[in-house]
Amino acid sequence: MFKNEEMEINLGPQHPSTHGVLRVKLRLDGETITHCKPIIGYLHRGVEKICENQTFFQGQVWTDRMDYCSAVANNLGWAEANEKLFGITVPRRAQYIRTMLNEFNRLASHLIWLATHALDIGAMTVFLYAFREREDILDLNEAFCGSRLTTTAFRIGGLREDLPPGFEKMARKFLAKFETCLEEYENLLSENRIWKKRTIGVAKLSAEDAIALGVTGPVLRAAGVPYDIRKAFPYAAYAEMDFEVPTQTAADTYARYLVRMAEMRQSARIVQQCLDGMPEGPVMAKIPKILKPEVNEVYHATEAPKGEIGYYLVGEKGSTNPYRFHVRAPGFINLQCLPKMAEGALIADIVAAIGTLDIVLGEIDR
Amino acid sequence: MNQPTALEQILITTKVEKVMNWSRATSVWPVTFGLACCAIEMMAAGASRFDFDRFGAGIFRATPRQADLMIIAGTVTYKMAPTIKLLYDQMPEPKWVIAMGSCATAGGPFDSYHTVQGVDKIIPVDVFIPGCPPRPESLIYGFLKLQDKIMTSSLADRYKDIFEEVG
Amino acid sequence: MTDPIVPQPEAAPEAPKGPYVYDYAASPQRQVVMPKTVPLPSRRTYLAEVKAAAEADEAKWQKMLADFETAKTKAEAEGKDAPKPPVRPVPRKDDNDMKTPWPEEAKDADLLLLQACLGAKVEEVFEQAGELTCQVSKDTILEVLLLCRDHADLRYEMLADQTATHYPAATGWDYSVVYHLTSISRRKRLRLRILVPEGFIPDSACAAYPSANWMEREIYDMLGITFANHPDMTRILCPDDWEGHALRKDYPVVGWGQRDIAFREDRGGMIERIALQKAGQLGINLKQPKAE
Ligand code: SF4
Repeated sequence: MFKNEEMEINLGPQHPSTHGVLRVKLRLDGETITHCKPIIGYLHRGVEKICENQTFFQGQVWTDRMDYCSAVANNLGWAEANEKLFGITVPRRAQYIRTMLNEFNRLASHLIWLATHALDIGAMTVFLYAFREREDILDLNEAFCGSRLTTTAFRIGGLREDLPPGFEKMARKFLAKFETCLEEYENLLSENRIWKKRTIGVAKLSAEDAIALGVTGPVLRAAGVPYDIRKAFPYAAYAEMDFEVPTQTAADTYARYLVRMAEMRQSARIVQQCLDGMPEGPVMAKIPKILKPEVNEVYHATEAPKGEIGYYLVGEKGSTNPYRFHVRAPGFINLQCLPKMAEGALIADIVAAIGTLDIVLGEIDR
Repeated sequence: MNQPTALEQILITTKVEKVMNWSRATSVWPVTFGLACCAIEMMAAGASRFDFDRFGAGIFRATPRQADLMIIAGTVTYKMAPTIKLLYDQMPEPKWVIAMGSCATAGGPFDSYHTVQGVDKIIPVDVFIPGCPPRPESLIYGFLKLQDKIMTSSLADRYKDIFEEVG
Repeated sequence: MTDPIVPQPEAAPEAPKGPYVYDYAASPQRQVVMPKTVPLPSRRTYLAEVKAAAEADEAKWQKMLADFETAKTKAEAEGKDAPKPPVRPVPRKDDNDMKTPWPEEAKDADLLLLQACLGAKVEEVFEQAGELTCQVSKDTILEVLLLCRDHADLRYEMLADQTATHYPAATGWDYSVVYHLTSISRRKRLRLRILVPEGFIPDSACAAYPSANWMEREIYDMLGITFANHPDMTRILCPDDWEGHALRKDYPVVGWGQRDIAFREDRGGMIERIALQKAGQLGINLKQPKAE
């Protein structure tokens, strides 16, 4: 029921700061949000259904197009879930290359988040700077697999190709300058008065609420819970890497900004370790040309830049297609906490709340 | 040698149509409308390395009422289709549409129950750009093609229906 | 001078021939192939299968021996050379880096604890590919979830994922609903599973884990299972007036003909305005195709 002063407005699905096609129904009392309901599905493309009707090898293509900001992280989860289903052991060099590309991808994804989040809050310059560095990472992607965005980087059982010549040099060159770039962004934002006013204390989400709502990734870590799947359930080559899981306790938008900036530093560290300790050897395990599983169901979760991405696969004996394919998309679960963050806040803060969740509608709607 | 007369030195003679086309082609304002993965490449085209602004199309407007170009960058679904049509109807004439990526041109890889097989089922499209996603260079090339199209369009064609009705 | 143009009789347009034209209607994407097996991982069925396979193998071997005996006596009677004795075939060894994970006996303390606490409510426990699975009876799922969350030795704080699968070939039940629980403090994962028949309404997990809200809505949207005591049991991804549930196995990938919309002819925007009005949702009115 409406009270006298209440008004309902509609944010999206075409709105520059909803990061795609999210629609939010808001009920306002003056400037305060009293009720907030996200409506999704405007980009529902039926990925799960399509995948169930294609072979295991074809499936990876669809994972690129789910979370298009971090395609490599999706590919990694998909490849590892399949390897778990079939019981394949991946050679060590392939693990290292996967880890390295995944971390580069985390950088690219966080840079997009930084660019668009800052743009929403009103800082245009950061957008231009962040995209400059992101282009360099896309060049690396392109050198490795020929595509900028939709990478399809891995194969079930390893990699299709080894690193191209010159890749290491490019990567090292990028790493050498990246630290200064990070400082550049921090100079623009960390002590910026407008940025602080619009982020500190905004869109709070306590640790208890976050865990109850299943929120993962930087949003959970900014609430003080050091849960990172790379550490908790190590996969790829993360068990051999030396890195920290940055956390904050303030649980607001500014804390999430700090966590993600610190994460970028750690990612650069991991890439450096991968480059230094890159083992020699083959990059592809020996697997048959046609993969047919036994009856089995697996759930494999990896740490995507947005949070826990899980693949649930059911194999049917003697069939080349997965019987059931389901994705636990981090954005889908994380977006559930938007009402909790926004209700009671001012209407201008909903933009910050959406931005700080770092959602990508492609994976939310699938 | 023909010396230009004093008048010719300060005047250019041309058609009204040409001036209008020229001004339209060189300051196209697109509406910010990202649907899916291609939108990221559209953003990249607008950002540092590719700089869409060089062609006078860098001002992405947030509302369709101030824009004259709609870049459909991404997959069009059945749930989204009415909204796209609504946005298109809200744009003032003259207006153009670029379908960016294979999803917007023909449904792309998603031949499934919830995907519209090409945005041209809903609204008329001027330029189709293939690719999944098209590189920013392709978007720029498609945009140059659109500029060509605008330059050669004529007022008589555009208002033919009205002229015929008036008689 | 050029020849006067002689009007040629117009050739009839040649019908496009087979291999160059892709027959869209017959494309495999458009066909619904119903599954014939029930790929539900389970130690019980696995053991039964192994036993049956061993018995079949043994029977085959016995038959080979018997054949050999008869052949031998026959050859002796005819005075020919005795045939070679048969060799028992060994399974071919492949040199791939693959080791198929089979369902193994439950040894993990969590599964044993669950079994001890719940008794007959647990239908099956096993481990496969390093993952713990516990199948419980369908009426008790909420109780089990609360136990997993609150028991001092279990402490599964987070419901990471919940999803369902359609098994049309199964008898007695149609769907499996799986819950993936994560314990952040103990770094463990657990899968709970229930089997529900068509029309059965399981309890919603929202009372134990609020994160189940959207996941159950998605299950309802995609597979048509409703949950009791759910705060908002509506469609989440498809429009409100969508027909059918897409992830059921009898639903074709390309849908039921929802694609016959032509907004371009909709000059005044009428179709779309009606669609907008419908339930206040930006959906499209859809029709199921007539049966032909
Ligand atoms: S064409 Fe490819 S990149 Fe573009 S929206 Fe479609 S799937 Fe995404």
